[in-house]
Amino acid sequence: MHEMALMAGVFDIIRENTEDLPEKNVTRVTLVVGEMTNAVPEALEAAFEVYAKGTPVEGAELVIKNVPLMAKCRGCGWEGKTEKHVFMCPGCSSLGMEVVSGRELYVESLEVDGDGD
Amino acid sequence: MEIKVNTGILSANEQKAVENRSLFEKDRVFTINIMGSPGSGKTTVLEKTIDILTGTVRLAVIEGDIYTSKDARRIEKHGVPVEQINTGGACHLDAKMVSGVLNKFDLTGLDLMIIENVGNLVCPVEFDLGEDLKIAVLSITEGDDKPMKYPLLFRESGAVILNKMDILEFTDVDLQALRQDIYIINPDIKIFEVSARTGQGIDQWADWLTDRVNNKLKEKTAK
Repeated sequence: MHEMALMAGVFDIIRENTEDLPEKNVTRVTLVVGEMTNAVPEALEAAFEVYAKGTPVEGAELVIKNVPLMAKCRGCGWEGKTEKHVFMCPGCSSLGMEVVSGRELYVESLEVDGDGD
Repeated sequence: MEIKVNTGILSANEQKAVENRSLFEKDRVFTINIMGSPGSGKTTVLEKTIDILTGTVRLAVIEGDIYTSKDARRIEKHGVPVEQINTGGACHLDAKMVSGVLNKFDLTGLDLMIIENVGNLVCPVEFDLGEDLKIAVLSITEGDDKPMKYPLLFRESGAVILNKMDILEFTDVDLQALRQDIYIINPDIKIFEVSARTGQGIDQWADWLTDRVNNKLKEKTAK
């Protein structure tokens, strides 16, 4: 349940990006979460509700974009989706695959009320 | 209005970890972050390791625990500097917590810093503390399915210590399958089969660790 700690980080980022804006009302928060992180979407959603309560983020939509785990074989160059973290190359059966994507964990964008300038 | 952000959720922790790492680097202190389930034997492995390394490696310990200082008191008895971090409910250590106790150590007089994380197979892996290596401790009584169920820890670790090998015969663990699963997740990982209770295999692990500490020290004398 480190999702509470992760969400504290998300709210720090929200604050840093909105404190100087006239539009204080955050209506959407978009996160990008790779498959090979230990962040569980349901737990992130629950933590989001807790942190949003009583802030300008309350009631905002939380969008979680999942990124599949993709790996590339150092041996034969095969690249593709890796099921269940089995890092054995489907092409040449060798071990030793590099993670191409799936470790992402970041705030992509925020939607705030009003048109700005 | 949409605001593009693209900022890592863990970026604040990563920044702090970079600061910790540069402090360790400055004095060439090799640092490991030990992770594993509650009851896997992290502290007992640590106690046996300390007893072997004492006299050859100057080490200190940071103990992570949710509420108690039981583990720190165990380590204290082995005559090495130890600091307790109580996370107050949090399931992992983070770089800021570690940073908060670093000033209590004389890093210039150390070769090795051992950080024992909160007992947990999931959360601690995501938080870089500034260590050189992550080390996983898995006791065989936890079952041979654990690496596939919690792959990130094994993917990110430099070595895994399979503990409680002395009672292997009383379990249904398929050791070969367990080893195979670990290598599939991370072919570069080093596996040590030990029993912290009997001391079996601890020497090999301690030797391997000492080599790594010495490599870092060579950098120190080369400077």
